[in-house]
Amino acid sequence: MSLAGVVTRRFPFGLRWLGAALWRLEHAFERARAAGRVEDDARIRIFMVMLFFGLGFGALAMGATQAALFSGSGGGGGAGWLPPQARADIVDREGRLLAADLLHYGLYVDPAEVWDAASTRQALAKALPTVSAERLDRALKSERRTFLAGGMTPVQKSAIHQLGLPGISFEPEQKRVYPLNHTASHLIGFSDTGGEGLAGAELALNDELRALARESGELALSIDLRVQGALEDELRKAAETYGPKGAVGLVAHVHTGEILGLASYPDFDPNTASAASADARLNRAASSVFEMGSTFKAFTVAIGLDTGVATMASTFDAREPYKLGYRTISDYHASRKVLSLVEVFQHSSNIGTARLAVGVGPERLSRYFDDLGLTTAAKVELKESASPLTPKVWNEDAVASTSFGHGMNISPLALTRAMLPLLNGGKLVPLTIRRQAPGFRPEAKRVLSETTSTQMLQIMRANVTGGSGGKADAPGLSVGGKTGTGEKYDPEIRRYNGKRQVSSFAAVFPTDGPLENDRYFVLILLDEPHGTPQTFGYSTGGWVAAPATGQLIARIAPFLGISRHIGPMEHQPRLASTPTVLAEAR
Amino acid sequence: MSVLNRRIRGFRLVDVIALGLLVLLIMSVYLAKTIASRERAEIASVERQIAAERAQIRLLEAEVAHLEQPSRIERLSTLYLEMGPVDVTRETTADSLAALAPPKAPSARAPAPKLEVVP
Repeated sequence: MSLAGVVTRRFPFGLRWLGAALWRLEHAFERARAAGRVEDDARIRIFMVMLFFGLGFGALAMGATQAALFSGSGGGGGAGWLPPQARADIVDREGRLLAADLLHYGLYVDPAEVWDAASTRQALAKALPTVSAERLDRALKSERRTFLAGGMTPVQKSAIHQLGLPGISFEPEQKRVYPLNHTASHLIGFSDTGGEGLAGAELALNDELRALARESGELALSIDLRVQGALEDELRKAAETYGPKGAVGLVAHVHTGEILGLASYPDFDPNTASAASADARLNRAASSVFEMGSTFKAFTVAIGLDTGVATMASTFDAREPYKLGYRTISDYHASRKVLSLVEVFQHSSNIGTARLAVGVGPERLSRYFDDLGLTTAAKVELKESASPLTPKVWNEDAVASTSFGHGMNISPLALTRAMLPLLNGGKLVPLTIRRQAPGFRPEAKRVLSETTSTQMLQIMRANVTGGSGGKADAPGLSVGGKTGTGEKYDPEIRRYNGKRQVSSFAAVFPTDGPLENDRYFVLILLDEPHGTPQTFGYSTGGWVAAPATGQLIARIAPFLGISRHIGPMEHQPRLASTPTVLAEAR
Repeated sequence: MSVLNRRIRGFRLVDVIALGLLVLLIMSVYLAKTIASRERAEIASVERQIAAERAQIRLLEAEVAHLEQPSRIERLSTLYLEMGPVDVTRETTADSLAALAPPKAPSARAPAPKLEVVP
């Protein structure tokens, strides 16, 4: 079978045509030789070689032209170069800069090019006062080009460059900068020089920040810098007045779980995080756990209402201390009367709360605590979120203790998360440090009924208008809340120490309006505050945390779009009982 | 006569054409590379300027963020302008402005109200 026959049968038209052409060409050479025209054979072969060379050269020329003119890279000389440790900017919910990679310079010394070592040493020592003389000498006596100092701003670089010192050169480097210094330091966190997040949002959102840097994007946190500024200011004032070991401030949206402000005192400057003490770097809002004290009564009352064990009309006998097994439960300031549910809350009655909790029972109470997220670390992006310390056995003793916030240590973030269902219609929303879109409502499990939530808003408001939270009231706003004072266990005396307290105020505003309205939770907590003559020596939540909370709410309400109005509040729920303010109540 | 055998002043036409094409290709590649390298240098220069400007802008943005941080603004406004948070009694809505407006002063032509003397 001839080659043509094979080609005809098995190959497509294009290949068949090429094969046939080559076949004719080869036969052309044979024909030329057969005809005795050898010169024609040579010409044809030369023509073919030229043709192939010409085509090849033309292809190369087109390729070169293409590469030169249309390669697309533009040969920018590395202008778009991104260092491997690059991280995206962090901004607040309004786009204000919180953290950024900025161009800095490293200074290098090449002793081989230094003309006058003495004058160079003198000039550099003056320009770089933070560099030690030993290090400067080592660099100038080195046998190779040596790195001397990094993190220099363009202004610093320019100042040294203008000295005109031979042997001194600079290389660009990226440095993570936190322009707000101490502001929101615990929430923003910090990263190392290798571009890895070590704390706060920098750690929690590390992979996202690295990925966004490649897209020149920025990451928006949920915090509002105005709210954060006011929160830190009020927390600092309270800390300066009452001298606590530490303090925590939190503001969160009850429906979205967005953290609008988070402050931990003392704070630090993330630009020099390594120079700060471990105590200053500790994020007390997330990493520390406390026995919260009476703020837990809000949970007990809500659970009592939700289970139907209590109603708004229920009464509790608080005339005598309540004996439960081997222990006797008494009130901090005994009212010695039968209290309504609202009065139990307003008086912060341990007796009434314990009686209510016993009525709920260990099984139901522990299940509700589980549902409210009180027995697990707060669900939030922050890696620092600490696990709680919970009772090993849920018996009546544990029920009574936890009902008024003893025998259980949780973080302020966990308290915040558990409080939100009481205030948002009963849904357990996850806390978040990311900005969410307007109108965002997360998927959330219902843990309380809407009725319970509505009643809790009323009770918490009643506690401010006529209970222990009176000092948290803000003119023109309907603030509700609960005081909390937990005594700390003292290993030296092997019991709770009444002089070492954790004093807090958990607030909500506005308490009026439909459940779906924007509403905010505020927590101020002081760890071991000291009373002052103005507080008559008291350091309880009602005296030290509630006033700061009220002042903070008055300041941040306009930022959050909550209008203030003086006069009778049309939608304000009024409860029958309005006893005198018990500011010293716990 | 075949095109391959045709000669111009002793040179084969096909050779002349091939040489011309070769020179043309060399010239075009040379020109393309020269123009491209010049433009590439210009682009690189502009991109370096853009990068430098961007770095400067970012530095200024960070400086602005530092200078505008709430605690600093508040401290300065309190210290130099004696400003403070707006009191709730001085806050109102646009709709309520009319109610807050002072009553119009009586016109000069209007007769003065008679005062009654109570004995």
